[in-house]
This record gives sequence, structure tokens and C-alpha cells, in this order.
Amino acid sequence: MTVVSAFIIPASPLPMVHGSNPPWGAFAEAMDEAGRRLAETDPDVILIYSTAWYAVLDQLWQMRAHVKGVHVDENWHEYGNMPFDMHIHQPYTAACIEATAKINIRSRAVDYDAFPIDTGTIGANHFLNKEHKYKLAITSNNLYHDGRLTGQLARVAAKQADQIGLRVAVVGIGGLSGSFFRHEINIADDRIENPIEDNCNKEFLTLIEQNDGPVLLSGIEGYVPAARADMGMKHLYFVLGAMADDYQKAEVLHYGPLYGAGGAVISFVP
Amino acid sequence: MSTGKIVAGFLAPHPPHLVYGENPPQNEPRSRGGWEPLRWAYERARQSIEEMKPDVLLVHSPHWITQQGHHFLGVPRLSGRSVDPIFPNLFRYDFDLEVDVELAEACAAEGHELGLYTKMMRNPDFRVDYGTITTLHMVRPQWDIPVVGISSNNSPYYLTLDEGLEEMDRLGKATAKAIEKSGRRAVLLASNTLCHHHFHEEPAIPEDMSKEHPQNYEGYLWDVRIIEMLRAGRTRDVFDILPQFINEAFAEVKSGGFTWMFAAMGYPEIPGELHGYGTVIGTGNAVMEWDLEKSASI
Repeated sequence: MTVVSAFIIPASPLPMVHGSNPPWGAFAEAMDEAGRRLAETDPDVILIYSTAWYAVLDQLWQMRAHVKGVHVDENWHEYGNMPFDMHIHQPYTAACIEATAKINIRSRAVDYDAFPIDTGTIGANHFLNKEHKYKLAITSNNLYHDGRLTGQLARVAAKQADQIGLRVAVVGIGGLSGSFFRHEINIADDRIENPIEDNCNKEFLTLIEQNDGPVLLSGIEGYVPAARADMGMKHLYFVLGAMADDYQKAEVLHYGPLYGAGGAVISFVP
Repeated sequence: MSTGKIVAGFLAPHPPHLVYGENPPQNEPRSRGGWEPLRWAYERARQSIEEMKPDVLLVHSPHWITQQGHHFLGVPRLSGRSVDPIFPNLFRYDFDLEVDVELAEACAAEGHELGLYTKMMRNPDFRVDYGTITTLHMVRPQWDIPVVGISSNNSPYYLTLDEGLEEMDRLGKATAKAIEKSGRRAVLLASNTLCHHHFHEEPAIPEDMSKEHPQNYEGYLWDVRIIEMLRAGRTRDVFDILPQFINEAFAEVKSGGFTWMFAAMGYPEIPGELHGYGTVIGTGNAVMEWDLEKSASI
């Protein structure tokens, strides 16, 4: 089996930079658990698709062998810095870049000092790869790609791992419902901003846990406009695509608010 | 302290290609030029600013996107390397800028008074976005004038367009009040492209100008229409059709800087001076100036 585990985690920096706030700390605990589950599947590489890394020209892939630095979130700068230290699986990334041409996606490697690593990817590496044990393959969210094409991208990436003989843990980074608080709130009382979206989220998470990929795929289309869902749920399309739209089990490790927006940590068994 | 004033406003778009084409020492990638008409337009803008002798440059950038509030740079000196996440091959710029924190705080306070959620950015490790840097470099490459950097709250995208731009209007009015109380001579910079339809692939040689042209004709026609109205001083008419322009030309002025600047200037019905127009990877870019001081003296 090529894809040995898969996860959905939020792109928000809040669990990493302010985990002492109980609503956000619950996300941190769930992502710690996701990290333990990832380790149990003993992957060779973590394949990351982050909706928070925007691309408009080509499909970008991080190719710098060692990426290290400090990031400050554009919005939540008051909560401090996000240090990161990542090692890239270059042969696998190169194979993915070459292969996407088969589905008419032009990919490009990014190999620059001080390239801005996105908040979501930094959070994923922080929680799921605490000891920097695993190399990463990181790709971007091309804003002009829809969910279907994003799923195809993931299929191609999974196929390359299969051909090379790599065991892959797949991580899709993004949120659930998109309405958030625009004003200052008491962060300890954070909640889903829109009750209707809250219900949509809960129903959608139940659908995910029913373990039926094709049914879930058809359900995304209705969920996205109803919940004003984050980035059209392309992170979920990616994870499903990597698993060929099929999985044995999904478990929601946590669902909750991130300054009013919905987020979840979900663990999949392919 | 004497009464401060807004000396001028500039439409000052931020394609990083312009910095790349110029080859300043701060930017690591090297080019063989490119986008000369726009860079020559900025040379004229630079000369105007030199003559105006402002105390501060205020820039509203669509590439510092904030969801909770309108943010202001609030660290006296910020430096580091800013790499454009979209065009990292063109823009890897070592910046070092001085912030007018006192004025930034005043703008934030006035915004709060007008009902906006405002926030100061106090983290010294913050990486300034390429939109802010490109616009500031193109108008003042000496970096010897303090700046106020303002984020683009995503309200025009998250709320309705009217609601979002109304916030930008209030932000502009708050900015004007703060400048007036500060005693500063201020220049405003709206870091916006006009038509924002762009090509989806970059030429093998990015500065190969034989590949550069408007991405689509309708967008070009929109740009010309807007520029002609601005050159004629028909500000009210421009703002009447701004929503249609934004929707049909995918105009980047949606992000708010253009509305912020005109609100701060009081929507003057004076002719804007076009320094130049050109496309960058298909998008429409105009460098324009509204000299309020000169206009008042006529």
C-alpha cells in the first residue's frame, strides 16, 4: 500500500501560537494525536497540500533540501513567531513535478532562500512531524484549479510514490465553514460564528465518518456553498484523490471553532 | 504643531516585475530590463515626490491580507528578505524600512473612533509583503522617507462589495484625520492594478516584452475608460461605475486601496496626471498622480 495514512488539519496558526487558549488547545491535542497515528503507519514521506500556499502560475512544489526559518502570521502576529525546520524529499518531489504534465498541469520547483512557507504547512510540520523524522513533499493551492483537478493532482502524486516504492502519509490542510468573527472577541469563548454553518459542519463530518468515498464526493458540492467552506474543500479533494476516493475508516479527532470559522482534525485509514 | 496635510495621492501598482526589470542592488535576481514604459512612468512619479518633500509615505497593500481588522505596521524599523510567493524567481528583496509608528498609531486610533477594528503589528520579525515593498521602492528607491504600511482587510471579498468598500472609505477618512492632527506632509499610495486578468504561464524569459500585452481586450477597454475619466477629473463618475469595473475587469482596486486613498483625499474632482500605462503578465497598470497642493494653488 502506497498511502498508509491521511489527515485533514486546519490551516489556522492559532493552535500552534496560542494553544493555551482552551478552544484552540483542543486542536493542538488532536493534532498531537494525529501525529502519533501518522508515526504508527511508518511513512517514508509526508505529502502535504496546503490551501494556505496560494499559486496562480503553475503548480508549485517546494524543492529546497532544507527549509528553516521563522514565520510571523499576517493576521495573528501578536501571538508570536512560528519557527520551522523541514527537510524535503527531493527525488519524490521531482517525480511529482515531472508527472503532472500528464494531466495538463505545469508544475514548477521552488528552491529559494527565505521563500515564505505558509502558516498551514508550518503547523502541519510542527504537530505531525515534531522530531523532524520524516521528509516532506509540499505542494501549493493553485487558485484556478477546482476540486476535481486537485483530486487528480493527488492521484498522480500517489502514483509516483507507488512507482518509487515510498510509503506516504497524506495531509490536506484547510478548514471547514468559512464565516469568522471580524471583531475582537473573548477568545476563551470562541464558537462557530454561524449556527447554520455549525449544523452543516456536523452533518458533513458525519458523512465523512460513514466511510463512503463516492458518497462523500457528491456531498462536498452541496456542503461547500451551504457552509461557505474553506477553499471549496480542495484539501479534502486532495486527500480523497490520493486514496483513489476510497478509504476504510475516518475518525474526527476534533471539531471546533477557530475565531468563528470551523475546523476539524480528521484521521483516515486508507 | 502645524496642521498636517495630504500633499498628493498616487495610483502606484506593485508588479514585482518592475523591480526585477530595474535591477536594484536589493533584489537578488538579475534581468535584462523589461516593462520600460511603466518604469519610466515611475521615474516621473519619483521626480514629483522628490519635489513634494513629504514627511511620510502611506501605502495600502493588497498583499498584506488580514481577516480580523485593518492592521498597521507598528515597529520603528523592519528589515529582512521578502520573497514573492507567486514570482519567487523575480523578487527576492532585502528590505530595510523606517516606520512612522506615531502616525500609524494615530491612524489606527482614528479608525477605531469611526467604528473599525484596527490593530497594530508589533512583531519585529514580521516579513513585509512584496506589494508594500514594490510600491515603495518604485516611488522612492532611496528608502529615506518613513512609511505607514496598512493591510488590506478582506472585507470587500468577505462582505458585499459595497460593505467592504464602505469600510475602506471610513479607513481613508480616519487616515485623513490622523494626518491632519499629525502635522505631517503625507503622500498616499494606492498599490493597485486596474484590470487584473493575467496569463497563467510565464514566458521562458520573463522580461521578453514581445510576449507582453493585455490579457484580454475587454479589460483593456475598461482600463482606458477608467483612466480617461480619472484624467478628466470625473472622480464621482468613476466611483459610480467602480463596482461594474471591478466585476467585469476583475480589477484589483477591489482590495480597497484606491477607495481608501480617494476617501482620504476627499474624492477630489481634479484631473489625475497619467505618468504611464502598461501591462505586466497581461494585467493593466497605470501610474497616476493627484497633486492636491498644486491643485489648491490654481
